[in-house]
Amino acid sequence: MKTEEKAWRALRARASAELPTGFAEGVLRATRGPGPEVWRQMNAIGAAQLRPGFAERVLRAAWALPEKMPTLLAQFTLGAATVAVCVVAVLALHTRSTRLEEERALASWAALAAEASDFDLLQ
Amino acid sequence: MDPTSTTAVADLVRRAQKGDEGAQRELILSYQHRVAGFVYAMTGRSDYVEDLCQQVFIKMIRALDGLQAPAQFESWLFRLARNTCIDQLRRQKLRRIFLPFGEEHENIPEPAGAVDTEELDALRHALAQIRPQDRALLALVQEGRSHAEIAEILSTSVAAVKARLHRAREHLREHYQPTHED
Repeated sequence: MKTEEKAWRALRARASAELPTGFAEGVLRATRGPGPEVWRQMNAIGAAQLRPGFAERVLRAAWALPEKMPTLLAQFTLGAATVAVCVVAVLALHTRSTRLEEERALASWAALAAEASDFDLLQ
Repeated sequence: MDPTSTTAVADLVRRAQKGDEGAQRELILSYQHRVAGFVYAMTGRSDYVEDLCQQVFIKMIRALDGLQAPAQFESWLFRLARNTCIDQLRRQKLRRIFLPFGEEHENIPEPAGAVDTEELDALRHALAQIRPQDRALLALVQEGRSHAEIAEILSTSVAAVKARLHRAREHLREHYQPTHED
């Protein structure tokens, strides 16, 4: 056997030794995708997660809930109304405190002006 | 009588709509395992299954009055299940944004024995890599829903379902790599 041919054979043997056992099967499985048996196993695992008495628990929970759950729109409207009431309250308080502050400032300016005019008359 | 035959289901639904507790219980018992399998495929988390299934069935009982066509019950139920799972996955995503350090608690590994084959593990991994909408599509097909039913569940056309299903299968195959070392 020629040296070159021997080298090629050794190379091929080395490369094929790198492949795991059942390589062809694995490739075929990956090409075909998961078979129905794997899906069945998955469903079985899911089904096994339900503890005994599941239906009773669901029925109890369903009856325990209030008759009418608020809709998303109703919850949003309630939130928006709360925000609006808060904003109006803050604005009203701010307006009132500003007005009182202005009245106080005006009164002190009026007193100051009166004192200044009294001072002018004295001079 | 097969409790999941269309006429039997429609009859059960009508009784449940009238407030018959026994019929409501029977509906839950008939579908709980299928919904649980669907929820597990959607979330990949066994610890979410019971809680999400409970949400699905509570919604079912409370909204049953609004179901106009009792014969369409199964499609309607799986639409509820799909929407509940997608909402949960969205909430989880938002939690990750606002609570970045909570991520390690979100990724608690499955308990030992929950994943018993490499192929199943590969399927869970592949499903986790694709969009929840695609996951739902594949899980609905595995659930035995027809293209027409899926189109109704997703409020789209049959042609769109076929195209999306083809893409979803391609994506799943891209990520599905079971490693067999015997």
